[in-house]
Amino acid sequence: MSDCEKTNYIGKSVPRIDALEKATGKVKYFEDYQIQYRDLLHVKVLRSPHAHAKIVSIDVSAAEALPGVATVVKGSDPDIPWSDIPYGSSYYGNPAKDEVIWAGQAVVAVAAETIEIAEQALELVKVVYEELPYVTDQHIAMGPDAPEVVSPELGLACGYMGFCADGPNVAGSYKMTLGDVDKAFAEADVIVEGEFQANKKSTSQIECNGCIAEYQSDGVVKLISNGMGVHGVLKKHLLTMYPQLTASTLRVIQPVTGGSFGNRLFPTVEPLAVLMTLRTKRPCSYVLSRKEMFTSSPSNWPVFTKLKLGAKKDGTIIAEDFYLVEDAGAQIRGYFDGRLSASGLMCVYNIPNVRCDSYGVRTNTMPCAPYRGLGVPESEWAMENLMDELAEKLNMDPLELRLKNIIKKGECNPYGEKVTSIAIGKCLEAVAEGIKINEPCQQDDGPWKYGKGIAAGGKQNTPLGRAEADCLIHSDGSVEILVSCDEQGMGAQSALRQIAATELQIDIDRVKMTRSDTAVTPYDNFGASSRTTYTTGNAVIIACQDAIDQLKEAAGREVGLAKKQITIKNGKAYVVGSDVEVIDIKDLFKPFDFFTQQTWGLLQGTPVRGRGVFCPAPAVPWFGPGHEDGRTPRMWNWYQYSAFGAEVAVNVETGQIKLLKLFSTADTGNPINPKLVEGQIDGGVIMALGFSTLDYHMFEDGKMINPNMSDYRLPTVLETPLQKNIMRAILPDPLPDGPFNAKGCAESMMIPIGPAIAAAVYQAVGVRPKEMPMTAERILKLIKDKEANDAK
Amino acid sequence: MKFNAYYEPNTVEECVQILSEQGSDAKMLAGGTDLVIRLRSRVLKPKTVVSLNAIPELSEVTLKEDGLYIGAMARLMDVSKSKLLTGAWKIVKTGAGNVSSMQVRNNATLGGNTCNASPSADTVPGLVVSGAVANIVGKNGDRSVLLEDFFTGPGKTVLADDEMLVSFKLPKYADKTGAVYKKYSIRGDTDIAIIGVAGKITLNDQGEVADVKIALGGVAPTVMRVPKAEDLLTGKKLTFQLIEEAAVIASESCTPITDARATKEYRTEMVKVWVRHVLTDAAQEAQNN
Ligand SMILES: Cc1cc2nc3c(=O)[nH]c(=O)nc-3n(C[C@H](O)[C@H](O)[C@H](O)COP(=O)(O)OP(=O)(O)OC[C@H]3O[C@@H](n4cnc5c(N)ncnc54)[C@H](O)[C@@H]3O)c2cc1C
Repeated sequence: MSDCEKTNYIGKSVPRIDALEKATGKVKYFEDYQIQYRDLLHVKVLRSPHAHAKIVSIDVSAAEALPGVATVVKGSDPDIPWSDIPYGSSYYGNPAKDEVIWAGQAVVAVAAETIEIAEQALELVKVVYEELPYVTDQHIAMGPDAPEVVSPELGLACGYMGFCADGPNVAGSYKMTLGDVDKAFAEADVIVEGEFQANKKSTSQIECNGCIAEYQSDGVVKLISNGMGVHGVLKKHLLTMYPQLTASTLRVIQPVTGGSFGNRLFPTVEPLAVLMTLRTKRPCSYVLSRKEMFTSSPSNWPVFTKLKLGAKKDGTIIAEDFYLVEDAGAQIRGYFDGRLSASGLMCVYNIPNVRCDSYGVRTNTMPCAPYRGLGVPESEWAMENLMDELAEKLNMDPLELRLKNIIKKGECNPYGEKVTSIAIGKCLEAVAEGIKINEPCQQDDGPWKYGKGIAAGGKQNTPLGRAEADCLIHSDGSVEILVSCDEQGMGAQSALRQIAATELQIDIDRVKMTRSDTAVTPYDNFGASSRTTYTTGNAVIIACQDAIDQLKEAAGREVGLAKKQITIKNGKAYVVGSDVEVIDIKDLFKPFDFFTQQTWGLLQGTPVRGRGVFCPAPAVPWFGPGHEDGRTPRMWNWYQYSAFGAEVAVNVETGQIKLLKLFSTADTGNPINPKLVEGQIDGGVIMALGFSTLDYHMFEDGKMINPNMSDYRLPTVLETPLQKNIMRAILPDPLPDGPFNAKGCAESMMIPIGPAIAAAVYQAVGVRPKEMPMTAERILKLIKDKEANDAK
Repeated sequence: MKFNAYYEPNTVEECVQILSEQGSDAKMLAGGTDLVIRLRSRVLKPKTVVSLNAIPELSEVTLKEDGLYIGAMARLMDVSKSKLLTGAWKIVKTGAGNVSSMQVRNNATLGGNTCNASPSADTVPGLVVSGAVANIVGKNGDRSVLLEDFFTGPGKTVLADDEMLVSFKLPKYADKTGAVYKKYSIRGDTDIAIIGVAGKITLNDQGEVADVKIALGGVAPTVMRVPKAEDLLTGKKLTFQLIEEAAVIASESCTPITDARATKEYRTEMVKVWVRHVLTDAAQEAQNN
């Protein structure tokens, strides 16, 4: 093996750096730091019982008087920065001011010596509400006469970027047209259409959102938080909110965290903890309870999709028309115009005539944020279900229909973006083969009926953001990589380490990763959109190259060669193209002692610092003059793809679905660490199995009625097929500009699971589910309706 | 979770004494799997907690002349494995084994499952069709109540503030008796039951139904019997049709509510499905016993 092969860690399942310490329980999550603070205050929050109400009065005098209470916060307090948000609603978890706009919104917060005292204090608070009309149903919310999510006198300007709304709750709209859709439908031989709904759901990561904010005597606020984006999210937002803090007096540290899945892309606990620590000058810890995770931290955005497809007899799809609405809940900050979910309906198939009519709408439910997949598992639910129906109408194999219509590498998608990496065809063929789609299931007399199905999915990656990395090469030849990427459990740090070791051609054991800390690690936005491997990975490569460049220069100077005559590998400098060693890197660093006077060159104790900055190529605007059709050669970055095959059993007496066997494939680009990718696939599959068949938010009287792990039914190990029946494969199409041709892989596997199960349900019992999750009750109702219909 | 006093009496007498002194301010702690959750969420704020965990006699399971005695503090894990629960008494094992996970069963007690008085408690329908009697001790002496009559509403029992449940008595069962409990939930035993159905059938020598009891959980304020369906079956030879008819009667007799676990329509439909399965299986067992 050549040296170069020895240090090539790409495509190798190197054990995760944190495997041992996690498995042995030694890692520290933010709560493990509470014990350091003897004078820690605990924060508890009183929450709105109403979906929409005016706050008439709040009396906190009894709570303030309770011994052990350090401070009480309400929305009308002068130190809550409202100027940025004139409509008086909650800003990232701080108490509401004028009115509450969802049940679960913060109203009063207490910091006290113990959790019990804080809870007791909240019971002493008296709030008078005046209930207002509310709307939790996204269909009603869309109407021009719908109850208004926020009272108009609070001055919520509808829309985003000047969009003039169709109704009081419409947040924005994105429209796109390609070709002549009406003409194409007129020419189609077969047309299918349907209305599909995907429900509201919670990411349900194991660790609840929480942080500790500490006020230091030098005026620095140190925040230890499991939130996302130490620089790009937390620091940025907190500095905007609290002008008394400066870039140098706010330090954000991310310890080991237990998941996010998008839920923490907006701060939920940090603003209040920081406010309280600024007030009390004492450390404050604020942790959401599991119930609060459901009612008061963000959910996904439910999506309604009305989709119509037209095809020629031979299966060529020539027309697509859809109306889509994203339900943003009480999310009045972020912009929602339908564009995110709409992207799922324009990234897998090459359809020459497309009309997209999409919207974002607000409702009086907990605000939404990204949920693994950014709203496309919710919209492709429609596309893939309808593809199965179309195949049936055409009397065509669902695999063949899909293969015929998928975008080929180098072709443009409906936006007009050229697709440079796509392996969905391989993925589809593999799953069809893997679950033997053409071998019918054995049936018996019992209540369980069996069926198989396949589906595909694609997910865009954001072109936004920037990542920086520092590569330190120490005088002993060891390497330290400084990045602020979010390590939420996915193993990003481990993959970045493999990238660094390979780029530096050095034994991976000599590479150490340093976790996010704004005082130490350079800028990064956030770990979302499967972007870390790609964006931060590219920054790491650039940083490594910069460090190598500096070493070459130093080595050249030392031995009298030009920089370009030198290569660096394995901690040594060689003459380019030869095995002639010119100097050991260690020897470039000059010893330092008390009497040495040295002013230039490399010195022991001072590492070489390579710097890397990477920004994806920017998007090209799709709005404004000249963009009336909403199209653009670049809205997104690259696309990841997945296909899924399922064999299921459906109980005709109860409506229950059991997943028996599954095959999941992912086009992740070149996988850096296959084992980590497989972990992503398996985890994603089980998560999606949950929201496809089991878990969703239920509302009654404007309130969520299942905010606990007993009634919010996440899949357990019992709902998961046996390990031997879970199959997966990584089928990459290398991405030209990815780090070692990698893309990212955290989301696409979520998309085809629901529709593949739905196709299998159809094969088993002859009903087509339209609403996700496909709960037992919903499936039984479809079966009963069908029986009644068949009897007619 | 905060309270002023915590007691750990060693005898039933001592315990009853404390209860009578504390009145409605006290709460008994068995396995704590219901109670502690309510203390933590501040739904319950008792001033005093009285643990039953230091009274050894409460955990005993003894076979006596007139039946089987199971102490109120018998852990569900032990009940679910007890070798003394034979024949038609196995239904009590099944119910205990259906409660949640191993971790919960290791703590939870049979008495706690009853005294918590949830309409969907998994051990109660089986105990009811077995004709279980609750043995109660209070300041003013002992009394025994048929378990069926023990519940007065969701979370409510006949126990007075100074009374505690000490044991269950299961009367002996006749030959040719089969008893079956089925819990229906979405995620197996991890979930609280959507409904639970217990059925006990005794056949005579002619193979006709000599005695039948049906109890439903999760479909009314308390676990309920279905006398109309039982009357229909008594004295008859069971047929598929008859069982189906009884299942329909059962589903028409219950008064479920809609909650986060299921709608009332779904619960009603499930009663029909599972009464059918339970009666079919119980009849089969009766034949074999
Ligand atoms: C995760 C989880 C899952 C669960 N799943 C199920 C399930 O699937 N099925 C099910 O049926 N239950 C379930 N439960 C509920 C609970 O576990 C059972 O009801 C259990 O049997 C209660 O017993 P315990 O000993 O823990 O009672 P405790 O919590 O100690 O007590 C319950 C109540 O009974 C009173 N009490 C206890 N013993 C006596 C006595 N001897 N005399 C008078 N009063 C008494 C207590 O004061 C208290 O009010 C679940 C609970 C949890 C936490």
